[in-house]
Order: sequence, then C-alpha cells, then structure tokens
Amino acid sequence: MVLSKPCSFHLPWCLAVWVVWGTTWCAAGASDDRPDRPSFNRDVRPILAANCLACHGPDDNAREADLRLDTVQGATADLGGYQAIVPGDPEASELLRRVASDDDDERMPPPESNKTLTAAERETLRQWIADGAAYAQHWAFVAPQRPAVPEVDDPRFAGWSRTAVDRFILERMLREGLTPNPEADVDTLIRRLFLDLIGLPPTVEEAQSWRLRLREAQATEGGVMEEGYQQLVDHLLGSPHYGERWARKWLDLARYADTNGYEKDRPRTMWPYRDWVIRALNADMPFDEFTIQQLAGDMLPDATTDQLIATGFHRNTMLNEEGGIDPLEFRFYAMTDRVATTATTWMGLTMGCAQCHTHKYDPITHREYYQVMALLNNADEPDLELWDAAEEQVYQRQREEAADLLAQLPQQWPLPDGANPADRHDVVQRAFEAWVARERAATRQWIELCPDRATSNLPLLTVQADQSVFVSGDITKDDTYELDFTDVPAGITAVRLEVLPDARLPARGPGLTYFEGPKGDFFLGEFRVLREDQTLPISRATESYAKNHFGALPVSAQLATDGDPQTGWSCADRYGEPHQAVFVLQEPLAAAGPLRVTMRFGRHFPASLGRFRLAVTTDPRGAEARSLPREVEQVLTVEDRHWTAAQRDQVWETFLLSAPELKEPAARIHALLRRPTVPAALILRERPPEHPRPTHVHRRGEFLQATEEVTGGVPAFLPPLPADTPHNRLAFARALVSPDHPLTARVQVNRHWAALFGRGLVRTEGDFGVQGEPPTHPELLDYLAVEFIERGWSVKQLHRLLVCSATYRQSAQVTPDQLARDPQNRWLSRFSRVRVDAELVRDIALRASGLLVPTLYGPPVYPPQPEGATETAYGGAEWPTSSGPDRYRRGIYTFLKRTAPYAMYNTFDAPSGEVCLAQREASNTPLQSLALLNDAVFLEAAEHLGMQLAQVAGGDEERVRQLFQRCLTRDPRPAELTSMRAFAARQRARLAAGELAAGPLLATRPGPAENAPDPALNTQALGEQAVWTMLARVVLNLDETITRN
Amino acid sequence: MNCQAHWMRHRGAAASRRWFLGQCSVGVGRIALATLLAEQCALAADDAPRRDPFAPRPPHFAGRAKAVIHLFMAGAPSQLDLFDYKPALVAHDGKPLPASIIGDQRYAFIRPDAAVMAPRFAFTRHGQCGLELGEVLPQLGQVADDICVVKSVTTDQFNHAPAQIFFNTGFSQPGRPSIGSWVTYALGAESRDLPAFVVMSTGAGISGGTANWSSGFLPTVYTGVRLRNQGDPILNLANPAGVDDALQRDTIDLVRELNEQQLTQLGDPEIATRINSYEMAYRLQRSAPELMDLGSETQETLDLYGCDPATPSFARACLIARRMVERGVRFINIYHEGWDAHSDVVGNHTNNCRATDRGSAALVQDLRRRGLLDSTLVIWGGEFGRTPMVETNPALGRSLGRDHHPQAFTMWLAGGGVRGGMTYGATDDFGFHIVEHPVPVADLQATILHCLGLDHRRLTFKFRGLDFRLTGVEEHQPVLALLA
Repeated sequence: MVLSKPCSFHLPWCLAVWVVWGTTWCAAGASDDRPDRPSFNRDVRPILAANCLACHGPDDNAREADLRLDTVQGATADLGGYQAIVPGDPEASELLRRVASDDDDERMPPPESNKTLTAAERETLRQWIADGAAYAQHWAFVAPQRPAVPEVDDPRFAGWSRTAVDRFILERMLREGLTPNPEADVDTLIRRLFLDLIGLPPTVEEAQSWRLRLREAQATEGGVMEEGYQQLVDHLLGSPHYGERWARKWLDLARYADTNGYEKDRPRTMWPYRDWVIRALNADMPFDEFTIQQLAGDMLPDATTDQLIATGFHRNTMLNEEGGIDPLEFRFYAMTDRVATTATTWMGLTMGCAQCHTHKYDPITHREYYQVMALLNNADEPDLELWDAAEEQVYQRQREEAADLLAQLPQQWPLPDGANPADRHDVVQRAFEAWVARERAATRQWIELCPDRATSNLPLLTVQADQSVFVSGDITKDDTYELDFTDVPAGITAVRLEVLPDARLPARGPGLTYFEGPKGDFFLGEFRVLREDQTLPISRATESYAKNHFGALPVSAQLATDGDPQTGWSCADRYGEPHQAVFVLQEPLAAAGPLRVTMRFGRHFPASLGRFRLAVTTDPRGAEARSLPREVEQVLTVEDRHWTAAQRDQVWETFLLSAPELKEPAARIHALLRRPTVPAALILRERPPEHPRPTHVHRRGEFLQATEEVTGGVPAFLPPLPADTPHNRLAFARALVSPDHPLTARVQVNRHWAALFGRGLVRTEGDFGVQGEPPTHPELLDYLAVEFIERGWSVKQLHRLLVCSATYRQSAQVTPDQLARDPQNRWLSRFSRVRVDAELVRDIALRASGLLVPTLYGPPVYPPQPEGATETAYGGAEWPTSSGPDRYRRGIYTFLKRTAPYAMYNTFDAPSGEVCLAQREASNTPLQSLALLNDAVFLEAAEHLGMQLAQVAGGDEERVRQLFQRCLTRDPRPAELTSMRAFAARQRARLAAGELAAGPLLATRPGPAENAPDPALNTQALGEQAVWTMLARVVLNLDETITRN
Repeated sequence: MNCQAHWMRHRGAAASRRWFLGQCSVGVGRIALATLLAEQCALAADDAPRRDPFAPRPPHFAGRAKAVIHLFMAGAPSQLDLFDYKPALVAHDGKPLPASIIGDQRYAFIRPDAAVMAPRFAFTRHGQCGLELGEVLPQLGQVADDICVVKSVTTDQFNHAPAQIFFNTGFSQPGRPSIGSWVTYALGAESRDLPAFVVMSTGAGISGGTANWSSGFLPTVYTGVRLRNQGDPILNLANPAGVDDALQRDTIDLVRELNEQQLTQLGDPEIATRINSYEMAYRLQRSAPELMDLGSETQETLDLYGCDPATPSFARACLIARRMVERGVRFINIYHEGWDAHSDVVGNHTNNCRATDRGSAALVQDLRRRGLLDSTLVIWGGEFGRTPMVETNPALGRSLGRDHHPQAFTMWLAGGGVRGGMTYGATDDFGFHIVEHPVPVADLQATILHCLGLDHRRLTFKFRGLDFRLTGVEEHQPVLALLA
C-alpha cells in the first residue's frame, strides 16, 4: 500500500529552486515512504537532528567548521576539495568517513558530545547517500493534502471499517501483523462515550435507557447498533457538560489559573474567560473563530463583550507582585510566555528556543522570534467591567430608591427640643441659604487649562474633550508627566489638580496601579509649577482627601511639594471617585505667558495617575481644595436668580447630602449611589496607532539587552502574512487558521486524537518540529486535518468522526501477543485504557454518589482539601472551604491557586497553570491511592453512596449491583459479587463484635442536613449504612472506576 | 525468563494471587510481584515510560554523597552580617559607595546612592580553621571545621520568587524540574517506604511556591513530596475517622482482589502498577508516622538539636531529615522563609538565627557522629545576598535594613565529599563584587550533582526536541576545589 509516488528528484533542478530560508526541499512526502529504502524525513533527518544539527544546523552562531547539514547546499558545499556529502557516492562523502572514524580527533559527533552513531544509523546514511541523498522538507512544514483513503481487501475484515479513519488504521495494523480487537460491549461503550465526551459517567437511569436503545437497535438491525450509537453520540455532543469536559483540556494550554502567580499570588478574575471557553465549545464555535477571538477579539470590528473576554487567553500570563520588581522586566517575561504558548498551542512548535538564539533544529531565527513577539506585543492590558443588563437594573433601582430617600431627607432635619415640626421647612431653608453663602464665598473662578503638549517618560498622555488628560500604556515605578501650556493669563495665584475616575482605569482610577498596591491607586511624589525652567515656589497646598495605603506616614498635597519624591499625596480606599489638590503660589504670576506643570509618580510599585485635569485661578485670595462636585461649584459662581430648576435641585441635593445634621440618614443614600462592584475581566486592547509599543531583539534573550527594533512577521517557512493588511495580532491570528497553514489543523486534530485514543498520532503533541516524533499514521493525520478544515473547523464533527470509528469502539483487552508486538499500542489494535484526568477523578465520585451539583459557570469554588494543603504558599494562603452546593461542583470550577494548586488534582497530575501544558501525564502513585482512600472528597462520596445503598430493597446482591452500576456502569461478575459479600460479612461481624463503630464512619461529612445519619435509626440500620459506606469506598478506589475502559 | 510469558501463564486470578503471596514473601511485599511485573514487563521499547520510576540506577561515576539535605534560607540572609566580614563597611558607614562599584545595578527598593551600613553584628573566629562568623551563629562555630564556606556565590535574579526558582531549577520562571527531581530521576530511590524527594518548610510561606520542588517536564512522580506541619505529615496519610488498621487492610485487600480480577480480564499492566501503588500507600501509612515519631531519639539528641519533639520547628525538621537519610530518602529540602530583612537586620537575623543556628549545626554534628556525613551533602544558604548599602524608607516604615544583592553571597556546604574547614572565593572590600573564584548558581548545581556521582552535562532529558539539563546551555563546571 504505497500512496506516494516514487521520487523524481534531480539535484541540479533542486539546487536551482531551493532558496527558501536556506532549507532545501522538494514537497514532503514525494519521496518519503519507500519502506525498503531510507527516507529523508523518516530515517535520515532524525539521525542528523539528534547528532549533527546542534553544531551543523540552522543556528549560524553555533555553527562549526562553516558546515551545515540541514540543507543540500550546505551538505554538498565544497570544503576544500571534498564534500560532506557527495550524492550517489558514499565513498567520497566525508561525513561517512568521519562518523565511522576511530580517531578521537576526527570522529563525529566529537567524543565530548557523548553521542555516537550506531552501525545501523551509519548504514542508513550510507544507503541514503548512495540513493542520491535526497533532502525533503520536514513533513510538518508542508500544508496537508487530502490523501487517498486506503482500500483494504483482506476478506477477514471486509465489514470492519465504519469510517475512513478505520481504513487508514486497519491498513497499517495489518501491515504490522496485528488484527483489530472485537468491539467492546455495550456497557463499556456507553461509559467510555460519557467519560470521553462529557467527562461524567452516566447515571444508572441514563445508562439503562441507552443500553436499551443500543441493544434494541442491535436486535432490529441484525447486529448493527449504529443508529442508537450515533444518537448517543449526538446526545452527548449536545450536553452542556461537553463544554466543561473539553474546556479543561484547552485551559491546560491557556495556562489558566485564578491567581497571579509568583510570590504574592493574589486572586484575579479570570473565570469569565473560562466560562467563555465552555460556552464557545458548547456552541461548537468553529476553531478558526475560536482562535481569532482569543488572540485578537479586541481588534474585530465592533468587538462584543464576549470577544473582548476571549482575549483573556493571553492575560493568563503571570503577574509578579513582589515588592520592588521592575514591571517592564516581568512584562517581557510575560511576552516570552505568550510567544511560546502561541507557538505550542497552535503550531506545535518549540519557539521558546529562539528567544536566546536561532533555533538549533527548526527554521526559526532569533530575529523571527522577536518578529512574532512584535505581532503580540502591541496591546495594553486593561480590565473590563462586566456590566450586564441585570447589574444595570440593580443600579437603576438603587438610584431610584436613593432619589426617594433624598426627597424625604428634609423631613429628618433635627429640630431643637420643643420646636414646632411645622417650622422644619423654614429651618432647613435657612440652613441651606447659609450654606450657599458660605460655599459661594469659598468658590473661585477656575480656568480649566487644555495642555498644548502632554508628554511623559513612557506612558501616553491623551487630552480629552473635557480638557482632562487620560493616560494609557506602560507605567514604571518612576514616571514623570510634563504638561505645557503656551499661554496662561496674567495674575495666576493657584493651580488646581483634579484626579478623575474613568471606567477604563483599574478600579475606575484615578490611579493606574494594577499590581502590588491596590488597583486604582496613585502616589504623587512631586508636583511642580514652572515658568521658563524656573520652579515657582508653592506656599501651601490643600487636598480634598488623602490617605496612604502602605506605611504609617501621612500623605498630603503639601508633601508633594517638599522636594522628596518618597513623600507625597495619595487617595487610598476611595477609588473610582474624583479628588482634588490645590497648590497656592507664593507669589502671583504677574505676566501672562507659558506655564509648565511636572508631576512625578511612583513608589516601590508603579503608581501613576490615569486621568486628571489642571486649572488655574487668578483670585487674589488664593484657593483651597474642596469636595464640592465641579458642576455645583460652577453653579455657585452664578447668582441664585439665574439658576435653572435643575441647577437649584442639584445644589439643594448636594447641600442635603453633605449637611452634618443629616449625616446618618444620608449615609444610606450615599451607599445606594455607590456603583455596585462587578467582576472585571482581564482583556487585551490593541494600542492606538499613534502609540505603538516598540519590540526589539534581545541579545541572549535577556530583558536588559535590547538591540535592533523589529516589526511584526512570521518565520519564513510559514505562509507569509498578507501584504495588503497591517501585520498585527489580527493578521497573525487569521494566518494561523488559513487553510494553507501547514501546522494548525494538524496540531489540533492530533490533540483531539490523543484525548480519545490515549496518545497522539504525533506522540510529541507539543513538538511538530524536526526533533518531534514523526506521525505513526501520516496520511491519516493529513486526512483528519483536511477534513477538519473542510468541515468548517467544527470540533464536534471531528469528535463525532473519531468516536464513531470502529477503531474507537474496540475493546481494551490486551493479549500477550498484542502486548509483545505493540506494547505502546501505536498501531491501535485495541483501545488504550487511560486513567481519567485529575478533575474527572473527583467528578466521577461526585456523579456516582449523587452529590454532584451540575451548575455551570461562575466564580471559582473551594471544595474541601486536607488541612495545611496551602501552608507553604506565601502569606499562608487561606482556603475558605465552600459549604453548600459549591462543595460539589465539577472540578473545572475549583479555585486554582498557582503556588498551591488544589492538592488532590496536583496528586493526579493536573497542572499549576504556570506554563502552557500540551500533554498531561497519567501517573500512577501511592499518593493517589492515599487520596482515594482517605481524602474527604471521596469519603463524603462513599458515605453518601452508602446511605442510599442501605435503603435499596433486594438484599446484598441488588445493592452490590446498584453500586457497580453507579460507579462502573455494569453488573458485578459472580466472583466480584462473592468478594464483596464476603467483605460485607466480615464488617458486619466486626460491627456486631464492637470492633468497629458505625458512628465515626458516618460522621465525617458536613453535607446537606437531610443526608446526615438519622439519630432515630437503630444500631442495625446505622451499621448497614456503615457497611455500604465501606463497600462504596472500595469501589470508588478501583482502577476501573477512574479509567476509561 | 520472559516475564511477560511468565505473567501470562499465571494470569488466572487464583494463580496470580498465589503467585503474589508465594513468590514475594517479604512482609507486605507480595506486591513486589506487581512491581516486578510492572518493571520487567515494561517492555523493551525505547519510548516505554519507566514502569518503576524509582528503581535504583547507577550514577555516572562513583560519588561520595548518597543523599542531599538542602537547608534553603529563603528570603536571603545577609552575608555581610553573618559570614563575609568587611572592615571597610565600618569605615564607610553612613557614606555612599563609590559609583564605580555600583555601575548600573538596579535595585528593588533602594537607590544606588544609598549609604553604606556597617555589619550589624560582632564577628568572632571559630575552629582550627579560624572561620569568622557573626555572633548570632555561635552553634555553627562549633562545626566550623566541618563546613566549607563559599563567599562567592552569584545569581542572575534579584527578586525572591524568580531567584528561588532559579536556584532550584536553573531557570527563573516556573516550568523546569527542580534539582531534587533531577537527582531522583537520575538515581531512583533507596527506600520504597518513603518518598525519594521530600520537602519541609518552617517559617513563613515560600515566595517561589511549589515551582521550587516541581518536576517540571520530568514525569510528575519526581515532584517533591511535602512533609507538612499541620494535619497529616503526608497528604491523606491517616486513616479516616472510624477506620482502624484492620479495616484499612481489609479494604486494600478487597481493592486488590477486584483489581486483580480486572487485570485478569483485561491484561493491562497498568492495573498491576495500580495494585502496587496501594501496597506502597499502605506501607507509607506505617513508615511515615514511624519517621515522625521522635520517641526513639535520646534526650541527648533532642537537646543537641534543641527541639521539642511535638512542635514543628526548623530544628525538628533537621532531626527528621537525619532520620530520613537513615531510611534512604535521597533529597531533602528544608525551607526556612523569613530572612528578607529590608528593615531591622538585627532583629530579623537575631530571630532567624535563633530558629536555625542550633538545628543546622546539630545536623552536621549528628550526621558526623553517626558516620553519615560523608555520604550526605548538607547545603545552607539563600537565593541571593543583601546589599552593603542600608535600606531606609520612611514611607514604608523601614530602617537599618538591606536590599537584595545578586552579585555576591555566601553559602556553606558540609559532608558528601566536601572539604571541611575551608573558605572559598572572596569579595571586594565592600562585599559588593566577587574578586576571586566566582561560583554561579549553575556551578554550584553542577557541584551538587558531582558529589552524587552525576555529570551535569550528561544528566539530560529530552523535552520538546531538546536535551535539557539542570545547568542550562552555558558552560558550567563543578567546583572541584571544594571537594576533599
């Protein structure tokens, strides 16, 4: 069964056309599968890659002797009268002489490399050279083409194949001298499909109903249960739990976690992104859209909230909040993580290698690495408040209630003892007039200034329509803003700085602090007013509010004028509100002319302002900072008789809400007027065109060694970005899912294959490069990749195709012969049993016991874990164990703390979310046994099961049957039944003898009250509950329970 | 004999059970069969994962050390107040350092022009070698002739979490295997009753978190196992309430019986491994409490360490570490977090030395008198050093502290083939730069591996197409001058 054509390969022709990036190739596959002769991709490249290319490969900085062996030009270059490789002439090929040499000075690879070629490897090279030394491009770098589906004419298996997939598998299997296993039994198939597609075992009722439908179909269709099977598959693909199951796999790649990582590892609101992934998978969002929204959803026209949330994919990078770090350094690390994660997730490339130097094996140069970084590096990283209609309604109702209360407020004005309530109106009115007079006297005419130039050391200052300045971009621990006004009026006596809230700022501002300090914080260390480089002395400064978040020292506007940037003004705790400071000049500035204001921000973390406005007054009395809203202050500059009704109301309300006499009743109104806090998703937002972030090559990958600036681009071996669009994140995302991309579709289908069949067709799921393993079934991989694209990137259709195959439906039984011929089941002559993922180990116990609370979505939860599980985390993290339903939610909703992941999941190989993980292990350890035996999660499940089983009528046999059905979806075999009954008898005897007590066995669970042991139960009934709890514990511990069989 | 054939001949449930019981007569070791099966049936194929990841494996060459105890002083102790005495700091106290020395070094909190601060403690000489130590380390002085002080360690990182992770894994970001994982991956385990790589912690929570003992891209079984201060020493070690030993045994027996039936049914060797895991779990339930029970230690020993056997403390962890070494544990981390003296070096270091000095010294003495020091490498030190300059920050309420200093810091080693009574490397008059024998962290890692008989260049793991090693791509070498 040879699918490929024989190689028609003429060296001179090749030399003429192979100029791309330096690697030389004819189309992959063209010469590449002649079982009797060495093929470059299958046989030769692995030898060169493992032994030669580190010194004689793509990296020109590491290249020895000016020889490269990864290209035909390099390998056949004249080295001074001889060549490393002379195609067709092994005897003249220096390479062969050197790899066979006994002389330590001559032998290649050199002795210090600890590498030697085996005789077989040398022979492979010799044959290959004798055959003409045909190079071919690495198979994975050539776009997949739809291969012909093999015909298998072995009559023994005429009816075996159900899908094209099976014909590829069968053809290869037979070539290996293997034959397929029989189909697994109905019970096994039902459980397998449930676990694979939704990650939960079926309930007893579900299993029974599907069992009947499958058997019925089997009976009526003469042994074919096809219709029922496909109905079950469709049913499961339509389940909302499907998204939960498959989202968890994607989140491994996305390095999802609910905390920031590093030392402080504080919580973050990442779960809206997690929910987005679940919803997208449930909706079968095509993978191309799924890709574009996550990488560049913010750049889509009229991006929706969901599309913005999707960009959380790359906000899963860690954030170091350790005191005193350089935020730009850790931002650089986050960028290297983004490049590596994007490459692994979409392309199966180990691009991280090229951070420090040109890749040793794959055609990715050092510079190209930073070009990819440039594509991803032009976004700001704001929070997005998730206001939805419901929250808006809540806030609206609050405001209405506040308005009602406000209307009644005057009636609560306190009167002196014995005063007539009828006079209250006049009392309030007099107080109002006095207040207006007082406030008006303190009111100044402020001239709000529009800066003619607003610059800084790094962040972007943008003047807004209301003359305020909005700040975006990166901030540092020491930022200075410079505001220039070309012409201010004569006679200035004071300058006012308003710091303003803005929905675009962390916690609505006014500061830009986003880590270490509280979100929205700022710290103004120095405030200066200058004319022509002369600092104008400030005689006094006042502020409307001041509070320091760190340390005991006072903060004030005055301290921002003392020349010491370590002291200054800050407004802790009242974020999202406007505040102001007023700086009075020692001498009025007599002449009109230019003015400059400089502000210096920062402490041991960045604490720059996010929005502010400057104003001046020429009032000779100077000025004080005030808490009065700006609009009210403006109204007060106008005489009462010119006030509109609305203005009068506004002044009146301000008076009432600030009157000390009404402090208590007004407090409720203030609370109602405060915006409810809503979760804020972490998103990307592409920078404005006038403020691009430059990207540089970094020598040796080090942050401090930035060299040449680069623009966005992709490695030359990939399809180039289209010439007619800007080369940015969006173009990159689209290119990744263009049908001619050689890697993306292959990498995705391989990952899904691995999830269902135990290992990928390419077993190195995260490395499709030269050093990765070649696919076991290259044509099948390409067939699936092409199908995936042509079926509109539908993951559900891919899953349907795979689970409907006969290959998938085989039994997992393994014979000694199979084990000997194919220990790793590369040729798929059986179903690969694999232990389920960590979260599913718990999900299974919860579902089988009936404890599972299947609620979807929402903030993370805290199921029980052993005392002290988080004790090594910095600051001794608390674990606020959930009570009530949240205790029994699916594993995907468990709070994931990076420096102290949920202990049980960790034990079962779940990742910590610190790096992108392409492949989870399925280890098998004593610590896992201890968890299943002794962890509260499984004990609660066992008890809950035990109490229910003890109620089941029909005696031990029926109870064991129920237990097996719930946990294993099958009836017990006679031998199992015997063992279970013997165990039950032993425990009953021990209970009767007083060696065991039922009470403690049933008292560990704090679950729903209705499930607690009924104190009225007699000893025997309690004893039965205990016996069945013990038996349930046994079954929950079985290998079969936590395995896809 | 072909194990597979053998195993398949004995596949019948009863036969297999008898085989389990008969062939493996050692205690609960019927399970050794499963191990054996699993190990040998593990199939010759190159890419087969190791069936028994902890099977003892020979080192690259004969090494003196069989075990390592790393006393990780997290938060970074001040070398200038404990080990590296600098009279010039006294002379310059209160004055800025010459700019030529500081260069363009960045700092976490202080400004480079901050004033010099003199050592906060008096120094005295100890032992025949005349080792100079700050007065807060009197007990360490008692073993001065057993330890090798390296004054010229240098790191790339100057923030805690990245520097700790770098020290353990050779890389500043999480994701790479820790040295304990590398070592157990390379050498396997001596003990089947206790984990091969154990992590203890006293003091505050650890900046680098679990990444410090992560197996990275090595198989997850090589992750360090936490020995906890609260609750069970090992996660889920104790039987649940109401479950006595007989019930636990009966439960595990029934689980095994049913798993064996399944093994018979399906023939998947992974089931045999699962059976084995349960037996090891059962053994661990016995061996771990035995390890933690200090009842068999003499009063004299308890006094040597100065520990209360019932209360978690650094000294108690040191004593438990010695017991682990006796029981064949390969690699032990004891973290003591809390040395981050940005303020009040005197108070901070007085307290931390009080908590760690006696235990560290006792560990060396105790290992020596039991003949274990030669085969056990003890390492003491932090993730970086502290500045010669003072840290003062009224806004943060800090005074008389020191900031992070990656250029030069001090560690000591003892046992495992290391030469006692010596000092290696030197810093300049201000303790700022190294002037003699710099020891980058990777050189130290190479040295640790060397003591265990491992060549850091040969200890590699193929991941994503590359042969990764602990010490990274740069050229590094073990510091042979430290070895006896």
